[in-house]
Amino acid sequence: MTFSATPEAGPVNPQATTPAEAANRPLMQIDGLKMYFEITSGILMSRHVGDVRAVDGVSLSIRKGETVGLVGESGCGKSTVGRTILRLYRPTAGRIVFDGQDITRVEGSSLRAVRRRMQMIFQDPYASLNPRMTAAGIISEPLEIHGVSSGRERRDRVRDLLATVGLDPDYGDRYPHEFSGGQRQRIGVARALALHPDLIVADEPISALDVSIQAQIINLLEHLQDEFGLTYLFIAHDLSVVRHISDRIAVMYLGKIVEVTGSRDLYERPLHPYSVALLSAVPIPDPAVETRRRRIILTGDVPSPSNPPSGCRFHTRCWLRERLGNPERCVEEEPVLREMATGHQVACHFAEEVDGTAEQVQVTGRPGRGAPVGSAGAAAGVAGGVVAPTAPEGPQPRPRPRG
Amino acid sequence: MALLSVRDLVVRFRTHDGTVHAVNGVSFDLDAGETLGLVGESGCGKSVTNLAVMRLLPAPAGRIEGGQVLFEGEDLLRLDEAGMRALRGKEIAMIFQDPMTSLNPVLTIQEQMVETIKAHKKVTNKQARAQAVDLLTMVGMSEPDRRLRDYPHQFSGGMRQRVMIAMALALQPKLLIADEPTTALDVTIQAQVLELLSRLTSEHKTAVILITHDLGVVAGLTRRINVMYAGFVVESANTADLFAGPAHPYTVGLLHSMPRLDAQPGEPLIPIEGTPPDLRHAPVGCPFAPRCAWRVESCWREMPPLEPVRETAEVQTTGPLATHRSACWNRPTAEEAIAGRPLRVDFVPAPEPVEVSR
Ligand SMILES: Nc1ncnc2c1ncn2[C@@H]1O[C@H](COP(=O)(O)OP(=O)(O)OP(=O)(O)O)[C@@H](O)[C@H]1O
Ligand SMILES: Nc1ncnc2c1ncn2[C@@H]1O[C@H](COP(=O)(O)OP(=O)(O)OP(=O)(O)O)[C@@H](O)[C@H]1O
Ligand code: SF4
Ligand code: SF4
Ligand SMILES: [Mg+2]
Ligand SMILES: [Mg+2]
Repeated sequence: MTFSATPEAGPVNPQATTPAEAANRPLMQIDGLKMYFEITSGILMSRHVGDVRAVDGVSLSIRKGETVGLVGESGCGKSTVGRTILRLYRPTAGRIVFDGQDITRVEGSSLRAVRRRMQMIFQDPYASLNPRMTAAGIISEPLEIHGVSSGRERRDRVRDLLATVGLDPDYGDRYPHEFSGGQRQRIGVARALALHPDLIVADEPISALDVSIQAQIINLLEHLQDEFGLTYLFIAHDLSVVRHISDRIAVMYLGKIVEVTGSRDLYERPLHPYSVALLSAVPIPDPAVETRRRRIILTGDVPSPSNPPSGCRFHTRCWLRERLGNPERCVEEEPVLREMATGHQVACHFAEEVDGTAEQVQVTGRPGRGAPVGSAGAAAGVAGGVVAPTAPEGPQPRPRPRG
Repeated sequence: MALLSVRDLVVRFRTHDGTVHAVNGVSFDLDAGETLGLVGESGCGKSVTNLAVMRLLPAPAGRIEGGQVLFEGEDLLRLDEAGMRALRGKEIAMIFQDPMTSLNPVLTIQEQMVETIKAHKKVTNKQARAQAVDLLTMVGMSEPDRRLRDYPHQFSGGMRQRVMIAMALALQPKLLIADEPTTALDVTIQAQVLELLSRLTSEHKTAVILITHDLGVVAGLTRRINVMYAGFVVESANTADLFAGPAHPYTVGLLHSMPRLDAQPGEPLIPIEGTPPDLRHAPVGCPFAPRCAWRVESCWREMPPLEPVRETAEVQTTGPLATHRSACWNRPTAEEAIAGRPLRVDFVPAPEPVEVSR
């Protein structure tokens, strides 16, 4: 979606909403968010030679108490979305509205006030903790920065937090290297909880942990959400984990969201050709299921975000486009994120054609089902008069290894 | 005779803060053309086991302190360095998680491939180069002629890993050891690389040891699996049996603690409590005991042997009929494996005896 409203258009006035509206509105709403990083060349006289379009027009809303998962391959812009909505960057364009307040351009003390309510948990529990500080020091740092409590009260709060994340409250005076990876991540979680935040952006919080430890942290995050009514943006490249923890999932490709849907639906009925390919590539630890599944082997690598392909960014690797006889529309027109009758939001001109294809069915290894998905808005159908050979019967077209 | 037969392998590291008991008596066999998965979490000894097979342990810290590695009947541990060099690459090849560690950054791909080929084959430069082009074509590289002149950093991670596969298969080795070949890659690129690896090795009937911590990867790719924990093989079975009826509490734990893509959302995970043991302590009893819900008293004292799960006249160590074995004093029943916890009424895991300090 290309959202043209300038961020300077003025903050939403929080007083203008009724309490009922306030209860219904999303906790976090982003519209047309863009975050570009300048590429410069030259050492003395640095010239602006281009932009890494890390996030390029992302719209997403997160309701209170919900977990939204953000998945996609390395470099697609997941972390940048997370960091930009926490206002660790100044967005290039678009709008970020947190609990009714436009925070796109806030600075100084108002930014600090907002930051208290939004926290981040990082991937690497080794790198994100200061090795020279004790666990208690690390956890109480946000309290200190924001001038919350002191002395005895602060110490009690730290002990509470340690217990909350399943650590011995007496471990407060130990240093990070005295903890295991999982314990270190618990310290990171305790620090994030210190200021009673509303929203937590968890950026790959378990990727660096041993497989046997990951579930401990997932369960902890789920438990804390129930206990404190937290809202999560859960960023990860591991679709199985994201699907487990999320209510809804947004799939990103090259700086854009290509599909948003409930986490059950995403696996059972993905409607974007990239989501289908991504899901098909995730191995399932069950040989009986694996023998029934077929992978879609995408050719080539992800293009560079500084020079994304024209039209649909996925067109250079899209299996559906090839199936449809390479329609020009994919190259010329950028697909918008549109709502389908099933409630999915999909950014593909031909999303209707995905439903029922052998590729979609083979993601799960189960036979296809369900009524056709019409587009919620415009009439369904293939523009340009291309007829899609989507017959799932007959010999299954084994995805070709290379194009 | 098995192609590879590892017998009671013991590897330790002497470091300034003590001896690391990395591999504590590992035995397994592999037939020609067979695919074996080696799974287990970080630090359990997967890489060290295979580095020992290749005799590539970092010296002087890493030492093979016992056992045999028989390759086509010959004990590699008795071979001199020249003999080992002749074998590496030609008979046994290895690919690593990070191809940059095994590619030389200052040489072009062509220089490296030609060098590898010429080290083992009597061919001219021109012939070696022609073979390199063929190999790159085989791994799906477009414009192989031009790409040969590129340096490793000019390739993406997935492409580098394909170059590694091309180089590893250049001399048609009998055994390929792939150590987490796709762990650093995105899933779609992982799918490309694994597809390539399995197609080429089955075409050439290359035996494969695939090392990974991802049970999903081995589920679809290998015929047989060894599960390792703290330097021991704790369960060994053909792939179908292992997933259908895991017979070791650690394997059961792994399967229940990882969300599956096809699970119902909200299905609870059962984590494995605690953390893996510190290998600087010599193992006493079963290394999984402190984390195990099935443990009985003897678990604290004695390491159980790797034994058949069901009674059998003869133990098969290789092939599709390999005997399902696990090293456990109190195996989970089929129902318990499904439930992910012991189901016997009044069962309480045996408490740690006071006199044994770990
Ligand atoms: N501070 C920065 N300066 C310049 N480029 C950046 C910066 N941060 C990110 N990028 C670039 O923006 C793109 C998106 O990066 P980002 O870290 O958001 O991806 P990601 O989806 O989180 O990837 P990963 O899964 O690897 O963490 C990448 O091309 C990255 O190189
Ligand atoms: N050079 C070394 N010096 C000391 N200890 C080492 C060395 N290399 C490995 N180890 C130790 O040996 C044990 C086994 O390591 P290994 O690399 O085989 O684990 P792994 O199963 O391959 O794990 P990963 O999944 O992290 O690669 C670990 O405890 C590790 O710390
Ligand atoms: S718009 Fe075209 S190229 Fe893009 S995903 Fe849809 S079919 Fe593929
Ligand atoms: S039951 Fe005993 S032997 Fe078996 S895994 Fe548990 S602790 Fe080890
Ligand atoms: Mg990231
Ligand atoms: Mg390893």
